[in-house]
Amino acid sequence: MSAELEADAALMLRVKQGDSHAFAELVDKYKQPVMNLAFRMLRDATEAEDMAQNVFVQIYKSAHRYEVSSKFSTWLFTIARNLCLNEIRRRSRHPAESLDAPHPDQPDQPKHQFEDPKTPSPPASLLQGELLEKIDQALSELPENQRTALILCRQDELSYEAIAEVLGCSLSATKSLIHRGRETLKEKLKPYLRTGQWRSDKS
Amino acid sequence: MTNDPGENHFRELSWRRKLTDAEEAELRAWLAAHPEARADLETETELNDLMDRLPQAPVPSNFTARVLQAVDREEARASRHPKLGSWRWIPRWFPRAAFAAVLLSAGLVSFHQVRGAVRRAELARSVAAVSDVSSLPSPEILSNFDAIYALKPTPPPDEELLALLK
Repeated sequence: MSAELEADAALMLRVKQGDSHAFAELVDKYKQPVMNLAFRMLRDATEAEDMAQNVFVQIYKSAHRYEVSSKFSTWLFTIARNLCLNEIRRRSRHPAESLDAPHPDQPDQPKHQFEDPKTPSPPASLLQGELLEKIDQALSELPENQRTALILCRQDELSYEAIAEVLGCSLSATKSLIHRGRETLKEKLKPYLRTGQWRSDKS
Repeated sequence: MTNDPGENHFRELSWRRKLTDAEEAELRAWLAAHPEARADLETETELNDLMDRLPQAPVPSNFTARVLQAVDREEARASRHPKLGSWRWIPRWFPRAAFAAVLLSAGLVSFHQVRGAVRRAELARSVAAVSDVSSLPSPEILSNFDAIYALKPTPPPDEELLALLK
Protein backbone atom coordinates (compact mmCIF):
# COMPACT_ATOMS: atom_id res chain seq x y z
CA MET A 1 0.00 0.00 0.00
CA SER A 2 1.42 3.40 -0.99
CA ALA A 3 2.00 6.21 1.48
CA GLU A 4 -1.00 8.08 0.12
CA LEU A 5 -3.24 5.05 0.50
CA GLU A 6 -1.97 4.54 4.00
CA ALA A 7 -2.74 8.18 4.75
CA ASP A 8 -6.35 7.81 3.55
CA ALA A 9 -6.77 4.53 5.41
CA ALA A 10 -5.36 6.07 8.57
CA LEU A 11 -7.77 8.98 8.26
CA MET A 12 -10.68 6.60 7.74
CA LEU A 13 -9.70 4.62 10.82
CA ARG A 14 -9.87 7.85 12.77
CA VAL A 15 -13.23 8.65 11.17
CA LYS A 16 -14.49 5.22 12.29
CA GLN A 17 -13.67 6.31 15.82
CA GLY A 18 -15.70 9.48 15.35
CA ASP A 19 -12.86 11.90 14.60
CA SER A 20 -14.50 14.75 12.68
CA HIS A 21 -11.15 16.47 11.97
CA ALA A 22 -9.96 13.41 10.06
CA PHE A 23 -13.24 13.40 8.17
CA ALA A 24 -12.82 17.10 7.30
CA GLU A 25 -9.35 16.31 5.91
CA LEU A 26 -10.78 13.63 3.63
CA VAL A 27 -13.57 15.95 2.48
CA ASP A 28 -11.06 18.70 1.69
CA LYS A 29 -8.91 16.30 -0.27
CA TYR A 30 -11.64 14.69 -2.36
CA LYS A 31 -14.31 17.39 -2.67
CA GLN A 32 -13.06 18.58 -6.07
CA PRO A 33 -12.93 15.19 -7.84
CA VAL A 34 -16.28 14.18 -6.34
CA MET A 35 -17.82 17.47 -7.46
CA ASN A 36 -16.35 16.99 -10.94
CA LEU A 37 -17.86 13.53 -11.22
CA ALA A 38 -21.26 14.64 -9.91
CA PHE A 39 -21.26 17.71 -12.14
CA ARG A 40 -20.41 15.77 -15.28
CA MET A 41 -22.99 13.10 -14.46
CA LEU A 42 -25.87 15.35 -13.36
CA ARG A 43 -25.00 18.40 -15.49
CA ASP A 44 -26.29 20.83 -12.88
CA ALA A 45 -23.97 22.66 -10.49
CA THR A 46 -26.50 23.02 -7.67
CA GLU A 47 -27.56 19.40 -7.84
CA ALA A 48 -23.93 18.34 -8.10
CA GLU A 49 -23.15 20.27 -4.94
CA ASP A 50 -26.03 18.66 -3.05
CA MET A 51 -25.00 15.29 -4.39
CA ALA A 52 -21.35 15.71 -3.40
CA GLN A 53 -22.46 16.72 0.09
CA ASN A 54 -24.70 13.66 0.25
CA VAL A 55 -21.80 11.45 -0.89
CA PHE A 56 -19.64 12.59 2.01
CA VAL A 57 -22.50 12.21 4.49
CA GLN A 58 -22.94 8.64 3.25
CA ILE A 59 -19.21 8.06 3.63
CA TYR A 60 -19.38 9.20 7.24
CA LYS A 61 -22.46 7.10 7.97
CA SER A 62 -20.89 4.04 6.33
CA ALA A 63 -17.47 4.51 7.91
CA HIS A 64 -18.03 1.46 10.15
CA ARG A 65 -18.21 -0.70 7.01
CA TYR A 66 -14.95 0.56 5.54
CA GLU A 67 -12.24 -2.10 5.26
CA VAL A 68 -8.67 -0.87 5.34
CA SER A 69 -7.75 -3.44 2.70
CA SER A 70 -9.77 -1.58 0.06
CA LYS A 71 -8.62 1.66 -1.45
CA PHE A 72 -10.51 4.63 -0.03
CA SER A 73 -10.81 6.54 -3.32
CA THR A 74 -12.27 3.48 -5.07
CA TRP A 75 -14.84 3.11 -2.31
CA LEU A 76 -15.62 6.83 -2.42
CA PHE A 77 -16.09 7.00 -6.20
CA THR A 78 -18.20 3.83 -6.17
CA ILE A 79 -20.57 5.43 -3.67
CA ALA A 80 -20.53 8.71 -5.63
CA ARG A 81 -21.35 6.98 -8.91
CA ASN A 82 -24.13 4.87 -7.38
CA LEU A 83 -25.78 7.90 -5.78
CA CYS A 84 -25.57 9.82 -9.06
CA LEU A 85 -27.10 6.90 -10.95
CA ASN A 86 -29.91 6.75 -8.37
CA GLU A 87 -30.54 10.45 -8.90
CA ILE A 88 -30.59 10.03 -12.68
CA ARG A 89 -33.08 7.15 -12.33
CA ARG A 90 -35.21 9.22 -9.94
CA ARG A 91 -35.20 12.08 -12.44
CA SER A 92 -36.32 9.81 -15.24
CA ARG A 93 -39.21 8.53 -13.09
CA HIS A 94 -40.21 12.00 -11.86
CA PRO A 95 -39.31 14.54 -14.52
CA ALA A 96 -38.96 18.00 -13.01
CA GLU A 97 -41.68 20.54 -13.68
CA SER A 98 -40.51 23.33 -15.92
CA LEU A 99 -39.73 26.53 -14.07
CA ASP A 100 -40.87 28.41 -17.16
CA ALA A 101 -44.41 27.05 -16.89
CA PRO A 102 -46.89 29.97 -16.62
CA HIS A 103 -48.60 30.81 -13.35
CA PRO A 104 -52.25 29.63 -13.43
CA ASP A 105 -53.60 33.03 -12.29
CA GLN A 106 -51.04 35.25 -13.98
CA PRO A 107 -50.24 33.85 -17.41
CA ASP A 108 -47.53 36.42 -18.01
CA GLN A 109 -45.64 35.31 -14.89
CA PRO A 110 -43.79 32.03 -14.40
CA LYS A 111 -45.41 29.55 -11.98
CA HIS A 112 -42.35 29.41 -9.73
CA GLN A 113 -39.98 32.23 -8.89
CA PHE A 114 -36.99 31.55 -6.66
CA GLU A 115 -34.27 33.76 -5.38
CA ASP A 116 -30.82 32.52 -6.35
CA PRO A 117 -28.81 32.52 -3.12
CA LYS A 118 -25.61 31.38 -4.81
CA THR A 119 -23.10 34.01 -5.72
CA PRO A 120 -21.17 31.90 -8.27
CA SER A 121 -22.45 32.01 -11.83
CA PRO A 122 -24.58 29.19 -13.23
CA PRO A 123 -22.80 26.17 -14.72
CA ALA A 124 -23.30 27.27 -18.30
CA SER A 125 -21.03 30.23 -17.73
CA LEU A 126 -18.27 27.86 -16.68
CA LEU A 127 -17.97 26.48 -20.15
CA GLN A 128 -17.01 29.61 -21.97
CA GLY A 129 -16.33 29.62 -25.63
CA GLU A 130 -17.35 27.40 -28.46
CA LEU A 131 -14.61 24.86 -27.91
CA LEU A 132 -15.40 24.20 -24.26
CA GLU A 133 -19.07 23.90 -25.11
CA LYS A 134 -18.25 21.41 -27.83
CA ILE A 135 -16.07 19.29 -25.55
CA ASP A 136 -18.66 19.41 -22.81
CA GLN A 137 -21.47 18.54 -25.18
CA ALA A 138 -19.53 15.70 -26.77
CA LEU A 139 -18.72 14.32 -23.32
CA SER A 140 -22.32 14.60 -22.15
CA GLU A 141 -23.56 12.71 -25.19
CA LEU A 142 -21.47 9.66 -24.36
CA PRO A 143 -23.16 6.69 -22.67
CA GLU A 144 -22.95 7.00 -18.89
CA ASN A 145 -20.36 4.25 -18.38
CA GLN A 146 -18.04 5.63 -21.08
CA ARG A 147 -18.36 9.16 -19.70
CA THR A 148 -17.72 8.05 -16.11
CA ALA A 149 -14.74 5.95 -17.23
CA LEU A 150 -13.25 8.95 -19.04
CA ILE A 151 -13.79 11.30 -16.09
CA LEU A 152 -12.31 8.84 -13.59
CA CYS A 153 -9.46 8.15 -15.98
CA ARG A 154 -8.33 11.76 -15.71
CA GLN A 155 -8.23 11.52 -11.91
CA ASP A 156 -4.61 10.94 -11.00
CA GLU A 157 -5.73 8.95 -8.00
CA LEU A 158 -7.26 6.06 -9.83
CA SER A 159 -5.58 3.17 -11.61
CA TYR A 160 -7.35 1.28 -14.39
CA GLU A 161 -8.00 -1.52 -11.89
CA ALA A 162 -9.67 0.94 -9.52
CA ILE A 163 -11.79 2.42 -12.32
CA ALA A 164 -12.85 -1.11 -13.27
CA GLU A 165 -13.90 -1.71 -9.64
CA VAL A 166 -15.93 1.51 -9.54
CA LEU A 167 -17.66 0.64 -12.81
CA GLY A 168 -18.14 -2.98 -11.76
CA CYS A 169 -16.56 -4.46 -14.88
CA SER A 170 -13.35 -6.15 -15.93
CA LEU A 171 -10.08 -4.38 -16.65
CA SER A 172 -10.27 -5.10 -20.37
CA ALA A 173 -13.91 -3.95 -20.53
CA THR A 174 -12.90 -0.72 -18.77
CA LYS A 175 -10.10 -0.01 -21.23
CA SER A 176 -12.49 -0.79 -24.06
CA LEU A 177 -15.03 1.70 -22.63
CA ILE A 178 -12.37 4.39 -22.43
CA HIS A 179 -11.14 3.63 -25.92
CA ARG A 180 -14.65 3.76 -27.42
CA GLY A 181 -15.47 6.97 -25.57
CA ARG A 182 -12.29 8.61 -26.79
CA GLU A 183 -12.91 7.48 -30.36
CA THR A 184 -16.36 9.09 -30.24
CA LEU A 185 -14.89 12.30 -28.82
CA LYS A 186 -12.19 12.34 -31.50
CA GLU A 187 -14.84 11.96 -34.17
CA LYS A 188 -16.99 14.77 -32.76
CA LEU A 189 -14.08 17.09 -32.07
CA LYS A 190 -12.28 16.32 -35.31
CA PRO A 191 -12.47 19.93 -36.55
CA TYR A 192 -10.59 21.08 -33.43
CA LEU A 193 -8.01 18.32 -33.27
CA ARG A 194 -4.73 18.69 -35.12
CA THR A 195 -5.64 22.19 -36.28
CA GLY A 196 -3.86 23.86 -33.38
CA GLN A 197 -6.46 26.66 -33.51
CA TRP A 198 -7.23 26.43 -29.84
CA ARG A 199 -3.60 26.42 -28.77
CA SER A 200 -3.23 30.16 -29.46
CA ASP A 201 -5.53 31.04 -26.55
CA LYS A 202 -4.52 28.17 -24.30
CA SER A 203 -4.05 29.42 -20.78
CA MET B 1 -6.73 0.00 -29.94
CA THR B 2 -3.85 -1.48 -31.86
CA ASN B 3 -2.20 -4.83 -31.36
CA ASP B 4 1.17 -3.19 -30.83
CA PRO B 5 1.95 -3.48 -27.10
CA GLY B 6 4.37 -0.55 -27.29
CA GLU B 7 1.80 1.79 -28.77
CA ASN B 8 -0.89 0.63 -26.35
CA HIS B 9 1.50 1.16 -23.44
CA PHE B 10 2.10 4.82 -24.33
CA ARG B 11 -1.54 5.35 -25.29
CA GLU B 12 -2.86 4.03 -21.97
CA LEU B 13 -0.28 6.00 -20.02
CA SER B 14 -1.29 9.22 -21.78
CA TRP B 15 -5.00 8.57 -21.17
CA ARG B 16 -4.45 8.84 -17.44
CA ARG B 17 -1.77 11.53 -17.03
CA LYS B 18 0.92 13.59 -18.65
CA LEU B 19 4.00 11.56 -19.49
CA THR B 20 7.09 12.19 -17.42
CA ASP B 21 10.24 13.49 -19.11
CA ALA B 22 11.71 10.00 -19.09
CA GLU B 23 8.54 8.57 -20.63
CA GLU B 24 8.51 11.34 -23.27
CA ALA B 25 12.07 10.46 -24.25
CA GLU B 26 11.14 6.80 -24.38
CA LEU B 27 8.16 7.65 -26.60
CA ARG B 28 10.29 9.72 -28.98
CA ALA B 29 12.72 6.84 -29.33
CA TRP B 30 9.86 4.42 -29.93
CA LEU B 31 8.26 6.73 -32.52
CA ALA B 32 11.56 6.99 -34.36
CA ALA B 33 11.34 3.25 -34.89
CA HIS B 34 7.55 3.30 -35.57
CA PRO B 35 6.79 6.48 -37.53
CA GLU B 36 3.43 5.06 -38.72
CA ALA B 37 2.04 5.38 -35.17
CA ARG B 38 2.99 9.07 -34.83
CA ALA B 39 -0.27 10.52 -36.20
CA ASP B 40 -2.50 8.40 -33.92
CA LEU B 41 -0.53 9.15 -30.79
CA GLU B 42 -0.46 12.87 -31.60
CA THR B 43 -4.24 12.86 -31.94
CA GLU B 44 -4.46 11.16 -28.54
CA THR B 45 -2.27 13.88 -27.05
CA GLU B 46 -4.40 16.59 -28.67
CA LEU B 47 -7.55 15.08 -27.17
CA ASN B 48 -5.89 14.88 -23.75
CA ASP B 49 -5.01 18.57 -24.00
CA LEU B 50 -8.57 19.45 -25.00
CA MET B 51 -10.03 17.48 -22.10
CA ASP B 52 -7.65 19.16 -19.69
CA ARG B 53 -9.19 22.46 -20.72
CA LEU B 54 -12.57 21.48 -19.29
CA PRO B 55 -13.06 23.61 -16.18
CA GLN B 56 -13.36 22.04 -12.76
CA ALA B 57 -16.80 22.05 -11.19
CA PRO B 58 -17.23 24.98 -8.78
CA VAL B 59 -16.80 24.03 -5.12
CA PRO B 60 -18.08 26.56 -2.57
CA SER B 61 -15.46 27.70 -0.06
CA ASN B 62 -17.64 26.55 2.83
CA PHE B 63 -18.32 23.12 1.35
CA THR B 64 -16.47 21.16 4.05
CA ALA B 65 -18.19 23.10 6.82
CA ARG B 66 -21.57 22.38 5.24
CA VAL B 67 -20.78 18.68 5.01
CA LEU B 68 -19.84 18.60 8.69
CA GLN B 69 -23.06 20.42 9.58
CA ALA B 70 -25.05 17.91 7.51
CA VAL B 71 -23.32 15.05 9.32
CA ASP B 72 -24.18 16.61 12.69
CA ARG B 73 -27.80 17.01 11.63
CA GLU B 74 -27.94 13.39 10.46
CA GLU B 75 -26.49 12.13 13.71
CA ALA B 76 -28.92 14.20 15.77
CA ARG B 77 -31.84 12.96 13.67
CA ALA B 78 -30.68 9.36 13.87
CA SER B 79 -30.39 9.52 17.65
CA ARG B 80 -33.93 10.94 17.94
CA HIS B 81 -35.56 8.53 15.48
CA PRO B 82 -33.74 5.24 15.02
CA LYS B 83 -34.25 4.36 11.42
CA LEU B 84 -36.21 1.15 10.88
CA GLY B 85 -34.32 0.47 7.70
CA SER B 86 -31.04 0.44 9.57
CA TRP B 87 -29.81 -2.63 11.45
CA ARG B 88 -27.68 -0.60 13.81
CA TRP B 89 -30.51 0.04 16.30
CA ILE B 90 -31.19 -3.68 16.74
CA PRO B 91 -29.50 -5.20 19.83
CA ARG B 92 -26.88 -7.86 19.20
CA TRP B 93 -28.86 -10.59 20.97
CA PHE B 94 -31.91 -9.99 18.79
CA PRO B 95 -31.05 -12.29 15.86
CA ARG B 96 -30.38 -15.27 18.15
CA ALA B 97 -33.54 -14.60 20.15
CA ALA B 98 -35.54 -14.33 16.93
CA PHE B 99 -34.07 -17.61 15.68
CA ALA B 100 -34.91 -19.34 18.96
CA ALA B 101 -38.47 -17.96 18.80
CA VAL B 102 -38.89 -19.27 15.28
CA LEU B 103 -37.65 -22.73 16.33
CA LEU B 104 -39.98 -22.76 19.36
CA SER B 105 -42.95 -21.72 17.23
CA ALA B 106 -42.17 -24.42 14.68
CA GLY B 107 -41.97 -27.00 17.52
CA LEU B 108 -45.31 -25.92 18.99
CA VAL B 109 -47.02 -26.00 15.62
CA SER B 110 -45.65 -29.52 14.96
CA PHE B 111 -46.75 -30.73 18.42
CA HIS B 112 -50.29 -29.41 17.87
CA GLN B 113 -50.48 -30.99 14.46
CA VAL B 114 -49.36 -34.41 15.78
CA ARG B 115 -51.77 -34.18 18.71
CA GLY B 116 -54.64 -33.25 16.40
CA ALA B 117 -53.84 -36.20 14.14
CA VAL B 118 -53.87 -38.62 17.11
CA ARG B 119 -57.23 -37.26 18.28
CA ARG B 120 -58.73 -37.58 14.85
CA ALA B 121 -57.55 -41.20 14.65
CA GLU B 122 -59.11 -42.00 18.05
CA LEU B 123 -62.38 -40.40 16.99
CA ALA B 124 -62.38 -42.40 13.75
CA ARG B 125 -61.87 -45.61 15.75
CA SER B 126 -64.77 -44.74 18.09
CA VAL B 127 -67.10 -43.97 15.20
CA ALA B 128 -66.15 -47.28 13.59
CA ALA B 129 -66.86 -49.18 16.82
CA VAL B 130 -70.29 -47.54 17.20
CA SER B 131 -71.17 -48.24 13.61
CA ASP B 132 -70.36 -51.95 14.21
CA VAL B 133 -73.29 -52.31 16.67
CA SER B 134 -75.98 -53.92 14.50
CA SER B 135 -79.07 -53.09 16.61
CA LEU B 136 -79.94 -51.58 19.91
CA PRO B 137 -82.69 -52.96 22.23
CA SER B 138 -86.11 -51.38 21.91
CA PRO B 139 -86.82 -48.60 24.42
CA GLU B 140 -90.03 -50.49 25.48
CA ILE B 141 -88.01 -52.93 27.55
CA LEU B 142 -87.12 -50.04 29.84
CA SER B 143 -90.80 -49.19 30.59
CA ASN B 144 -90.74 -51.15 33.92
CA PHE B 145 -87.17 -50.19 34.75
CA ASP B 146 -88.06 -48.13 37.82
CA ALA B 147 -90.27 -50.90 39.32
CA ILE B 148 -87.64 -53.54 38.74
CA TYR B 149 -84.91 -51.29 40.10
CA ALA B 150 -87.02 -50.80 43.31
CA LEU B 151 -87.27 -54.54 44.03
CA LYS B 152 -85.18 -55.99 46.83
CA PRO B 153 -82.03 -57.72 45.74
CA THR B 154 -82.86 -61.22 44.62
CA PRO B 155 -80.72 -64.26 45.25
CA PRO B 156 -78.15 -64.99 42.59
CA PRO B 157 -79.45 -67.06 39.69
CA ASP B 158 -79.06 -70.80 39.69
CA GLU B 159 -76.38 -71.19 37.09
CA GLU B 160 -76.77 -74.98 36.86
CA LEU B 161 -80.51 -74.74 36.26
CA LEU B 162 -79.97 -72.11 33.63
CA ALA B 163 -77.46 -74.33 31.92
CA LEU B 164 -79.87 -77.23 31.85
CA LEU B 165 -82.66 -75.06 30.46
CA LYS B 166 -80.52 -73.94 27.49
